[in-house]
Order: sequence, then structure tokens, then C-alpha cells
Amino acid sequence: MGRHITVSGVALEIEEKGQGRPLLFLHPGEGLQPDRPWLDRLARHHRVIAPHHPGFGGSALPDWLGTVDDLAYLYLDLAAALKLENAVLAGACFGGWVAAEIAVRNTRRFAGLLLSAPLGIKVGGVTDRDITDMHAIPRADFMRLAWADPAKGEIDYTQLPETELAAIARGREALCVFGWKPYMHNPRLKRWLHRIDIPAHLLWGEQDGIVRLAYGEAWKAEIPGATLETIPAAGHYPHWEQPEAFDRALLAFTQRL
Amino acid sequence: MRTWYFSEMAYHPAWEKGLARGSLRVNFPNEIVDPREAGALLNRYLDEFALCDEAGLDIMVNEHHSTATCMTVSVPMALAVIARETRTARLLTLGNPIANRPDPVRVAEEMAWLDCLSGGRLEMGLVKGAPYEIAPANSNPGRLMRRYWEAHDLILKALSTHDGPFSWEGEFFQYRNVNIWPRPIQQPTPPVWMTGMSVETGKLAAEKGHVVGTLLSGGLAKPMYDAYRKRARELGWEAGPDRMAYAAIVGVGTTRQEGLRRADSIADYVRTAPVVAEPFTNPPGYNSIAANVAMLKAGPRAHRLVTDRDGQPIDHRTATVQQFMDTDTVFAGTPDDVFAQLQAFNTRMGGVGHLLFFGQGGYLSHQDARANITLFGKEVAPRLRELGAPAEAAA
Repeated sequence: MGRHITVSGVALEIEEKGQGRPLLFLHPGEGLQPDRPWLDRLARHHRVIAPHHPGFGGSALPDWLGTVDDLAYLYLDLAAALKLENAVLAGACFGGWVAAEIAVRNTRRFAGLLLSAPLGIKVGGVTDRDITDMHAIPRADFMRLAWADPAKGEIDYTQLPETELAAIARGREALCVFGWKPYMHNPRLKRWLHRIDIPAHLLWGEQDGIVRLAYGEAWKAEIPGATLETIPAAGHYPHWEQPEAFDRALLAFTQRL
Repeated sequence: MRTWYFSEMAYHPAWEKGLARGSLRVNFPNEIVDPREAGALLNRYLDEFALCDEAGLDIMVNEHHSTATCMTVSVPMALAVIARETRTARLLTLGNPIANRPDPVRVAEEMAWLDCLSGGRLEMGLVKGAPYEIAPANSNPGRLMRRYWEAHDLILKALSTHDGPFSWEGEFFQYRNVNIWPRPIQQPTPPVWMTGMSVETGKLAAEKGHVVGTLLSGGLAKPMYDAYRKRARELGWEAGPDRMAYAAIVGVGTTRQEGLRRADSIADYVRTAPVVAEPFTNPPGYNSIAANVAMLKAGPRAHRLVTDRDGQPIDHRTATVQQFMDTDTVFAGTPDDVFAQLQAFNTRMGGVGHLLFFGQGGYLSHQDARANITLFGKEVAPRLRELGAPAEAAA
């Protein structure tokens, strides 16, 4: 259980761990999952601040809040409330989309932007699916596309307590509220990525079947000076599947900021 | 009890292929449809609806999308044809899937137009729609019921406002000049119906005073009807049977065997309709958190089953006619059999005023469908009309 903080009228649950440069970490659509080892690894060199998105974990989803724009302003307010300076803004998958929406608005509190397999932009033509339709494939197919080794990502839901299952169900609905249509992207975001005025680094799992490396190349082309690095033996969630390699890549990036 | 005949106008020639692929909906490519055969079937089904006027039955139409189980893609389109071919039958849409409709004012216009066309015979169902309707409509399953209620309120206001235009700036819908032409004959609006399967829906429908309908499971219907009656009483009124509706397959014949055979044929619809690819069965937000917790706990291999009157689980995909009769999904036999079964059902449910008579599933021949409608209209429906609230429910 993280601590609770109310920002702009929204009660958020936040996981906080470690010392050093602040790292605001925005989680994937699958949830934060703070019990996986990734958080401990990142906390060795950073003060990790990882909110559960509204509707996920113990964070509230008020009726008035329902777009990724709202999340961007909410987290800018959170960064201000925590008086973050010179922080790293990191986001994975859906959280990467939110991080990019923040960065095109205001980077004053951030020294660098790390995006891990972000969703959020439209690259191809009208009949091209840049982002796999995760809601139109069976769960087993999703796992095969999202993980290099799906066994590492398996969760036995039948063994979880009901409170945790309820939080998972709420989070799944919240992801739909934010990202159902247009599916997991903002058609205009790509046109504003040029506004990102801090160093940006993209991380991509070599076996990511949710968003392919070509999609990462499109991100790199739109953000001035962005760099792109791949992580072997990882799918869509390198921070979960290869936490050690993810931490090394993150540290190398933050040390040059 | 009034009787409303309905048929989903299935494209059953594709069912075998759909069952083999494990999905008859959403991701079942339409290359399998022969459009000329579809047209012939639609004409045949519409002829079956047209018989109802003579048989003294009312009519219900619903719609589904992207599926071999139902070719009715638009309730108002089907009812427009039927309205012209009938003179006395009341015409029920059950319904307009308004949480999936981008334009509620268009729905209000269509309903008003139908009410005018039919001389005020329209009954207007406003429904949430099935989970697998989310994908074809690409409507957001998150906050679905909030969108439903906003559309509901807007449609009723559009139908009942005569000094417009009015403006509407809601969470989901925005209009600056709502002023529908024509307006409906029935005022303030045609009677409103809802569908549901939960106690919560029963309560909400009672708060609006709408008719509430459910389908194919007496075990789920009873708690919902009870919740409706209880909530109505709390609000100071008695909800009679005319507020409760129930959809069931009915096969009637001159012999018991003939009635059972017809019901068995129609029941292939129920054995087929739930077969849909996994991701479309439960879009996040469609079902309650509690229902999702139960599903996660049950694990991926658990199938959702209904239970019979003894609490035994029944799998719709493989059930026999007898098993379907035990869950109140099917009523079948001679006219006397069917009347006795429905009379007992009415008593168990505490009074149901509307039977939604599922009388065509797909495989039933035109000849059998005609005979089923005609015999039911002649021998069963008149007796059902005399059936009111059971004595113990009124007490």
C-alpha cells in the first residue's frame, strides 16, 4: 500500500521508494504492480514516485475526470505539489502516452523524458493498426504479444484477494475510459511532439508485439534529439521482464542529464 | 398476460461455420453471407411478423450487429415495414441500443416517425445492449450506463417537448437546437421499456415507472421483478404485472411432440447465440465490478451458466429442450401444456404481464413458424389475456 495524497481534488495512491534524483514513473495500462522487482531496482539510484492512475489501485476516478488531458494536468499538479525539480519523467505503455502529453505542455520540473514503448500517437494510414487491439484478442494472445516469455507475466487471478481483483477490474474500466476511442492514442499528439525541449530517450523491448520497433522509430523522428535503445528478451514491458537491463538503461540516461 | 411475437431474423445458413470457428459475432467475416439468400430470409421473416395481426398478437423487434444470429440491424427500419403490414398489433422496439447510438436525437426522431406512421401503436424500448455489441458500435464500455441515462433523458425530452428548440449540453451529448418533426401521437412519450438481469435494474426501472423485461432465465427474472415491486411500493405505488415482461422460446403444436419439436428447433438459436470470441464477451466496464471479481476468481476456463429451478447449472450451448424448460427458457407442448406452464410461471414470478414470444430461431421452417404463430394466437393468447396477477402476489 502506498501513501495517499489529494491533488486537484483527486485522491491518489502513490508508491514512493529510494533516494536521489526524483523519478516520476507513470505505469502501463496493466497497472502499477509495485510488488514486482522493478520498483526496488529503480529505487537503488532514484527517488521513485509512482502514482496509481485515477481508477487504478487505490486512486479515485472522479466523475469529472476522464481524458488523458486530465491526467497530464493532474500529474503536472502532482509534480508541483511535491516540489519536484530536475526530475526524470518516465512512462511505460499507456503511462508513456501520458508522459508525452505532459512533456508537450510543460517541462519546467523535468530534466529528461524516458518513454518505454509508449502508446499515444498515430503513425500509419487509416486501416493500419499501429497499436495492437488488446481488447479484441484473447488474453492468451495478448500475453504472447506483450511478453518475450509469457510465463514471466502470468498472474493467477484465482489466488488474489477480492479487494485486489476489484482494483484490477476498476483499472481495466479506467483504461477504457481514457483510451477506448480513438484507441490508445491522440490523433493530434504527434504534431506537438516537437515542443519537447528536454532530452528524451526511448526504450523498446525487442519482442514487443503490442507496439513494434517501427512505431518507436516514428516517435524518435518526431521528438527533437531523441534516442532509441532496444532491450533484448523483453516484450512490451521491459521494466517488468528485464528489470536489471531497464535499470541500467535508465541510469545511463539519467547520468547524462 | 399480453403476447408479443418476436424473431431475430437469423442467418442460420452460416451457423455451422460459425460454430466451427468458435464465434458467430464480430470477427465472423461476412463473406459467408449469400446476400440473395439473406434477402429471401428477411422477406420470409417479415411475412411471419405480418401474420401476427390476424393472430391477435403484438410484435417485438430487436437488433444486433455483425452477427449471423440476427439480421435486424435497425429496429426502426424493420418496424417501418411491419407497421405498414399490420393494422392493430402494438409494435415494440426492444430495443434501441441507446448507449451505443452516437445520436440520441436521431433515435427520438425515428421513434416519433414510427408512432405517427403506425397510428400510435409504438412501444419504445431503450436498452443497454449486449456486451458483444460494444465492438461493432465501437462505443466506450467505460461509463456505459452514464451514457445510457443521459441518452434516455435526452430522448424522452426530445419526444415530449413541443415548444422547442431546446439546447442540451451534457457530458456525452451536445445539441443547440433540438426540435423533432414530427412529434409522436402518444404523449408525453410512447410507453417506455427497459431490459435487465439484475436487482439494480429492477430498482432503477421502478423509479422511472418503465416496463422491465428480461430474457430466458426465470432464476434471474424473479429477483429483478421483486426489486421492482419493492421499490415501487417504497415510492408509493403498486407495480402490477403490466410492468413486467419476460422473453421465452415457445413451441406449440397440435400434439405435445410437435410443440416440443418446434421448441427444440427454435432453441438452436439459444445454443448458438452465446458463441462469440472471448474478448467481446466482457468489455471492461460493461459488467459490474462485483461480477468481474467473480469472473476473475472463477478463472478463464469457467463458463457462465444459468441454473434451473433446483439450482442445477445448465449450459445454454448444449442444453436439451427439457433442461431449457427447467430454466424457464422454453415453454412447449400442446396449447393446454403451454398455457399451464405459463400459468405456473406467472404464479412463481408474482405476475408477469408481457410474454415476449420467441417464435422463430432460424431453423424453424416457414410452415412451422406460421403454424406456431397461428395456433398460439388462437389457443393460448386469449387465455393468457385473462391471466392477471396471481392471488398470492396481489395479497
